[in-house]
Amino acid sequence: MSDNNALEDIVGTGNVLDGIDILREYSSDLSFVPSRRPRCVAKPSTADEVQGIVKWANETMTPLVPVSSGPPHFRGDTIPAMGGSVIIDLSRMKKIIRIDPINWVVMVEPGVTFGELQPELEKAGLSTYTPLCPRGSKSVALSMLEREPITIPAHHWDALDPFLCAEIIFGTGDKLRSGEAAGPDSIEDQWKIGKAQMVPFGLGQFDESRLISGAQGTIGIITWATVKCRPSSTRTRTFLISSETIEPLLDLSYRLIRVRLGETCFIVNDLKFASLLGKNQEEIRELRAALPRWILVVTLEGYGPLPEGKVEYQEADFRDMLKQAGNLRHLQNVLSFSEDDITKLLTKPSDEPYWKLRYKGGFSDIFFLNTLDNSPAFIGAMHTLAHSRRFPSEDIGVYIQPIVQGTSCHLEFDLFYDATDSTQTERAQSLVTEGAYDLANMGAFFSRPYGTWAKIAYSRAAETNILQRKVKKIFDPNNVLNPGRLCF
Amino acid sequence: MAIEEYEHDSLRCTRCSFCKWIPWESMRHPDFMQGCPSASRYNFHAYAAGGKFNLALSLMKGRIDYTEGFSDAVFRCQMDGSCDVSCKAVQEIEPLQNMQELRIRCVQDGQGNPSHMLVIEGLKKEDNMMQAKKADRGKWAEGIPVKDLTREKAKVLYHVGCRYSFDEELWPTARAGLSLLMKAGVDVGIMGRDEACCGGRAYEMGYLGELIKFAEHNREVFKAAGVTTLVTPCSDGYQTFKVLYDKVGQKLDIEVLHITEYIHRLIREGTIKFTQKVPLTITYHDPCHLGRLAEPWVHWKGKEVKVLGQMIIHDPPKKYRRGANGVYDIPREILRSIPGLRLIEMYRIRESAWCCGAGGGVKEAYPDFAIWTGAERLKEAEAVGAKAIVSACPWCTRNFIDTVKETGRKMDVYDIVELVSQAV
Amino acid sequence: MDLTKDAYGALEDIVGPENISQDLAVRETYNQVWGNKLVFDEKWSTRPAAIVMPGSTGEVQAIVRACNRYRISFKPFSSGFEIMSTALASENAIILDLKRMDRILDIDVKNMHALVEPYVSVYRLEMELAKHGLYIGTISAGPEAGVIASHCCHFGSGTTQVYAGGLGRNVLGCEWVLPTGEILRMGSAEACNDWYSADGPGFSLRGILRGHSGANGGHGVITKCSAKLYHWYGPPEWELKGSPPALKRLDKVPDGFKAFGATFDTRDDAYDALREVGQAAIGFSVWMLIGGEMCEGNDEFWEMFQKMDPAEMQRLAQSLLVVIGANSAREMEYREKCLRKIVDKWRGHFLPQLNDPMYLALRSAVMLWSIGTVRETFRPCGEFFITPCTDATEDMIKHQNTAMLEGIMPYVHKGAIMQPGASPFHLPYENYSVGSHIESIFMFDPYDDNSLQGVREWTAETFDPKGKFGKFGVPCLGGGLQIEPVSHVVQNWGPLYDNYDVWLTKIKDALDPNNLGDWSAYVPPVFP
Repeated sequence: MSDNNALEDIVGTGNVLDGIDILREYSSDLSFVPSRRPRCVAKPSTADEVQGIVKWANETMTPLVPVSSGPPHFRGDTIPAMGGSVIIDLSRMKKIIRIDPINWVVMVEPGVTFGELQPELEKAGLSTYTPLCPRGSKSVALSMLEREPITIPAHHWDALDPFLCAEIIFGTGDKLRSGEAAGPDSIEDQWKIGKAQMVPFGLGQFDESRLISGAQGTIGIITWATVKCRPSSTRTRTFLISSETIEPLLDLSYRLIRVRLGETCFIVNDLKFASLLGKNQEEIRELRAALPRWILVVTLEGYGPLPEGKVEYQEADFRDMLKQAGNLRHLQNVLSFSEDDITKLLTKPSDEPYWKLRYKGGFSDIFFLNTLDNSPAFIGAMHTLAHSRRFPSEDIGVYIQPIVQGTSCHLEFDLFYDATDSTQTERAQSLVTEGAYDLANMGAFFSRPYGTWAKIAYSRAAETNILQRKVKKIFDPNNVLNPGRLCF
Repeated sequence: MAIEEYEHDSLRCTRCSFCKWIPWESMRHPDFMQGCPSASRYNFHAYAAGGKFNLALSLMKGRIDYTEGFSDAVFRCQMDGSCDVSCKAVQEIEPLQNMQELRIRCVQDGQGNPSHMLVIEGLKKEDNMMQAKKADRGKWAEGIPVKDLTREKAKVLYHVGCRYSFDEELWPTARAGLSLLMKAGVDVGIMGRDEACCGGRAYEMGYLGELIKFAEHNREVFKAAGVTTLVTPCSDGYQTFKVLYDKVGQKLDIEVLHITEYIHRLIREGTIKFTQKVPLTITYHDPCHLGRLAEPWVHWKGKEVKVLGQMIIHDPPKKYRRGANGVYDIPREILRSIPGLRLIEMYRIRESAWCCGAGGGVKEAYPDFAIWTGAERLKEAEAVGAKAIVSACPWCTRNFIDTVKETGRKMDVYDIVELVSQAV
Repeated sequence: MDLTKDAYGALEDIVGPENISQDLAVRETYNQVWGNKLVFDEKWSTRPAAIVMPGSTGEVQAIVRACNRYRISFKPFSSGFEIMSTALASENAIILDLKRMDRILDIDVKNMHALVEPYVSVYRLEMELAKHGLYIGTISAGPEAGVIASHCCHFGSGTTQVYAGGLGRNVLGCEWVLPTGEILRMGSAEACNDWYSADGPGFSLRGILRGHSGANGGHGVITKCSAKLYHWYGPPEWELKGSPPALKRLDKVPDGFKAFGATFDTRDDAYDALREVGQAAIGFSVWMLIGGEMCEGNDEFWEMFQKMDPAEMQRLAQSLLVVIGANSAREMEYREKCLRKIVDKWRGHFLPQLNDPMYLALRSAVMLWSIGTVRETFRPCGEFFITPCTDATEDMIKHQNTAMLEGIMPYVHKGAIMQPGASPFHLPYENYSVGSHIESIFMFDPYDDNSLQGVREWTAETFDPKGKFGKFGVPCLGGGLQIEPVSHVVQNWGPLYDNYDVWLTKIKDALDPNNLGDWSAYVPPVFP
């Protein structure tokens, strides 16, 4: 197509794709966001190319939809909301630019996935922070930029963690390196004077990294990012603490996080945990039957000056806490899954197929923020909502991830259903879309409002909406970056 | 001295606002951290000691003239010295001296406080700060067979001051103090009708001349009386005789003691013994003039020199008055030795005590502010569970009594002398 | 200049006559603050047209709206104790003294956040929080520094930032009266009236609330902040003893804590050890020992100083002070062992003079509550200044520190400034997971021509983006100082630092179309 010549000039022939099958791939995902075919897919490999595309888009008023992770996508944020959109697929930008084992920082391009990064980090004795069993094709930088919760709340100081600095191409086409990375010198020259692009604090009086976090690509596109890592554990203890009611586990997690004891800390229900472990529906059912209703997962990792000593004292302290907590059960294993199996599960991306797809073939998530102590009320409400919409409560996975060192939590409901069954699908859709209204009315905070949640979230955030529009106008005055998302 | 002498200090005031609070090292409770009644009540920075450095500097540089806000900020202040302690916990500048000189400058420029002027007129006419008749000065002691030092000789002069002389409700305390001394066999006398004001409160109002006048007078009178020791139950008077006279070059040649110091001495000697229980739960309020303001005056002459590049030191070394050497322990030791008495400390004590509200001419010019300040102190006393507040100064006692009356707060008010009398 | 009668009347109607003043003398107490002599060459900055003291968010909003109506600039502050705090870009400006807004509105013990108004000071909140076993990150700006000032509006570092974060990273919620008068409650506060997250929906407006520095009132008034809290290992209350207050001490390191002083043979070893102490996640309070002991006064300090061996002082300046908090005896034992192993690795020693229990008790009070500033920095010479001042890795800090020492020593030798021990204020953030902070503090006498001249020269050298410090990053004080003669930091550094100046001015313009939020310590919509 001649219209794409300009793009080809920027990214090279062969990196602008407009074949019908390719476009179909990018026109929908597994969310309920309506599909729309993009005009073409451009696959840049450098920051200059990305910058070229954004400038071109401004000249031609073409909507751009940035995509970093590989498929499958689940949230609708990579589906064009406008006709004639160009997908900027950053998956060619796959360089792990630098691993800094002294400062525990890694610099990656947006196409680097969890599946690709972890093995490389391990060679340097480091480990990445991850969301709970991410899919292997998930972009590390984008996961963190989108404020996906990591499983180690004690290390989650700030909502933006473990994201640090980035090279950003704003919607205007201007480039800026955020935080410590800014400045006249090349990144290589910065390394020579000891910089590691690890200090995230914004320049002067604004904070560039924060500004693009959770933006779904509407403010800027990153062409590399630095993210925090931690040393690999040389000895890990993983504890599964179970209870038939959730409250004692919430109390225990409050206590753990408050004193920052241990690393991984989250609570799941039986189905969610079974889904994480099981390879197929049958195994998941079997596991679920063997599991108690609620499980708190805690790991104690050995690293630092005294790895053994760390795990030993933390285990002893943790056992004291358990004793004080009373009627909680420590599961030594789950059917044939040993502690080591579970430890491994928590430290790597999901095997294929993605774990959320194994139980029923389809799923939809509802997730939002609240505080841990409010979780039981939301869980109750979710079951009531499911009941009213005749979605089987027993097919709802629950995941409570404390974040920002326990000051709030990510509460996620996975609605597992058979995607080939239109009735189940409709009921799930109804819950995910309309049910979210009810949850929002109860106080659920949709801080990452994908798809239809944007409307719900912004209807409760009038001033935020107004101000975000003003800011959007500064950084993307022509609204070329992912238009139709958030409140734009 | 003059505000010009404190230009260096005004320039170096950083606006840290430490003067508004007690020193952080002394903070014990988040509800009782403020130190300056004036800044707490009137909020604007001008009311704090730091603001007065600003006012003084701008006045001397001709940037401002006297305004209503200026006068208000200067005179709505108890001159209690809390700011001075807090500031000098971290700095080497003199906020209280600057404030004093600022008042003196106001008076010199005819900008004194109108209410104070009335009081001073009375003082000039009747030698007292209570707008009372000089002829009535000795009435408080009527009926007590005590030596009259205008006619007889004694070693110890018992000087009660203006407040005790004319505040009838407080006479029992003044009398009790005297009785204690007499019962202990102290060779004591009073000046009766001829007792004169110490001049201290006039000085705090900005009337330097009155202080010098009374200092000269009293020096002569005390010398003529041949006394060796002056004992006073008034903390204001104590600070004036001990500190201010020295400051203005009129140091007394005799020993100056607050009555608590004398009683403490008598207790230690075994002359006073406590035999009666006083079953009270009390808290002790440090009068400013017995505490942080009662530190001996330091006469320093020398020069500033710089070391380590720019660090300012003094040659010879200069000892600052930072509030350490007031009379703090003696009243507490007396109270603790009274049988049945339970002493609970407030959160702001010793050099960091909150003012009763009566000082600096506030009682005379801004009675509502005096009551507000007193009420803040009573809240603190209540917060620690005290049933009574005990002071060692008639000005504090008077203001607390008035505060109780006006606010309806439930708190008994005593002077320490009353409790000692009950216990012997 | 004075306000018009109408404008004054409108403001008076909002706050009541007791809470507004345009008395010339009162206004003159709102234009004198430290730093003015350095920046403006005299004690005074521009005199505000009036001082207004709002008592509520509603009043702040009404004032800001009135300012828009009458085209009056405004600048809010809490304690007002900071260089440039009283500076105004226009004479037609009022200062909002937020002293009346002093409520601790909520302490959510479980979810570890506190909601406060602007005049809530850090030490007041510390005392309140300790009753609940909680703690808030503080900066070394003294006990009266406002929580909101340090979290939302300005910059600063404190010794406990290794454990309790800093530089705006503890903001979980914020109520912000925008320069146009709208009230924005960020994040969950607007969405569901709960104050646990300030991020979203969508992108985080914390991105324009502040960066490394804050807007210092240049983009509106922060009327509430929900601050993230941390576990407090210590007792619910404590008492310092002694007299006078300058000599008050804890009689021991408080229960729940232990303190250590480790001295290294080289500065670089100390820096490497500092990084590893941070990474080991064992410190509650960590900093490099800075020259100068706490004495009653300068004369007392000098007396002590003369008795000290200069070589020994230099050696002690290569020391790391660490306060460890622990929740159990096991945890304390583990953390202490870690510390000892790290110190051993970097060839450090626990010298007796830094590990005497009374010395550690003395130091721990300062290190637990991050109290600082006036005694240590103003008293010696009159004022202090900080440059260079950076957040970075320990590796870059080594480079920068070498350059700093080389550059600053001539000024020390010619007596322009005092820098005891030549040791910068140096401390890690958040277990070193976002690097460390370093600021080269020195003292000077602004009323001594030689001293002032030296400081200006050194400042010009370090604030020159094209000079030898240009590569180390935008000076931390880059928040303010828009006014000559010191520097136009943002304007000067922006072009070399990815044009961040341009974005900032655009943000200012979008937020404040009438340009009424005083920009003297922020940015103007267009640089004059």
